[in-house]
Amino acid sequence: MGDLASKLMAELECETVFTIPVFGGIGIAESVVVTWIIMAILIIGAIILTRNLKINHISKRQAVAELIYTKLTGLVEGMIGPAGKSYVPYLTTVLLYIGLSNIIGLFGMKSPTKDLNVTIALAVMSIVLVEAAGIHHKGVGKWLHHFTEPVAIVTPINILEVFTRPLSLCMRLFGNVLGAFVIMELIKIVVPVFLPAVFSLYFDLFDGLLQAYVFVFLTSMYIAEAIE
Amino acid sequence: MNSLIAIGAGIAVFCALGAGIGIGIATGKASEAIARQPEAAGKINSTLILGCALAEATAIYGFVIALMIIVMLK
Repeated sequence: MGDLASKLMAELECETVFTIPVFGGIGIAESVVVTWIIMAILIIGAIILTRNLKINHISKRQAVAELIYTKLTGLVEGMIGPAGKSYVPYLTTVLLYIGLSNIIGLFGMKSPTKDLNVTIALAVMSIVLVEAAGIHHKGVGKWLHHFTEPVAIVTPINILEVFTRPLSLCMRLFGNVLGAFVIMELIKIVVPVFLPAVFSLYFDLFDGLLQAYVFVFLTSMYIAEAIE
Repeated sequence: MNSLIAIGAGIAVFCALGAGIGIGIATGKASEAIARQPEAAGKINSTLILGCALAEATAIYGFVIALMIIVMLK
């Protein structure tokens, strides 16, 4: 049990893989390298799917690409409503990134969302987007005024929400990925043969994709609330 | 000191009780709703899954705190 604790500690921290020799050495962490791999997968997939698009007599590859695009954007647009159409590409990208990075543990790489820095960065980007959307659509005066709605008494709670919403977003994502990892390690210690595959179906696949959907759903709900 | 750490971590995970009760009640209401109107089963299903994922988050917070207590307190 002692080495399990030390193994957990080792997984909680992220090691520096290599250092760029600029400005006195910028350390590149492991989650950044896996993020580059995910970026390569998504970009190469996008380039392959969108080559030689035609209007009539479309190939099967183009049919698949159109299906993926309409399903994803339909999903996100349903969450954010018609007023937030300009935010749909960013939200779809975040959905794909978080979904892919939660699943990539199945392929033997350390998932970048298991690193607290990555989830905090995603949550900060979300809250900056929400507040910027509010300011852009309402103007600075009305945005400051909306902190006092619906009753003037809830103003401190509204201001606090600016900080607790990204905190809950990042902690939910990080906790789910870390918890799934810890439970899978424990199962592998107890029954190493067949059970991990069954549980991995739930923890890695279902839970990972669901958490990506919940993250994007909550962000789009906050944006829809700030825009209206 | 070690026993206090263990007791603290144990108390921290106790907040999963709320998540279990909440999700149980939500699933019960969802089953009633589906029984009352089977055509809306798809929408009820997705709402249920979303609600369970959000309720699970509070249990996860307790788990993360317990893990931090075990790992970071010497």
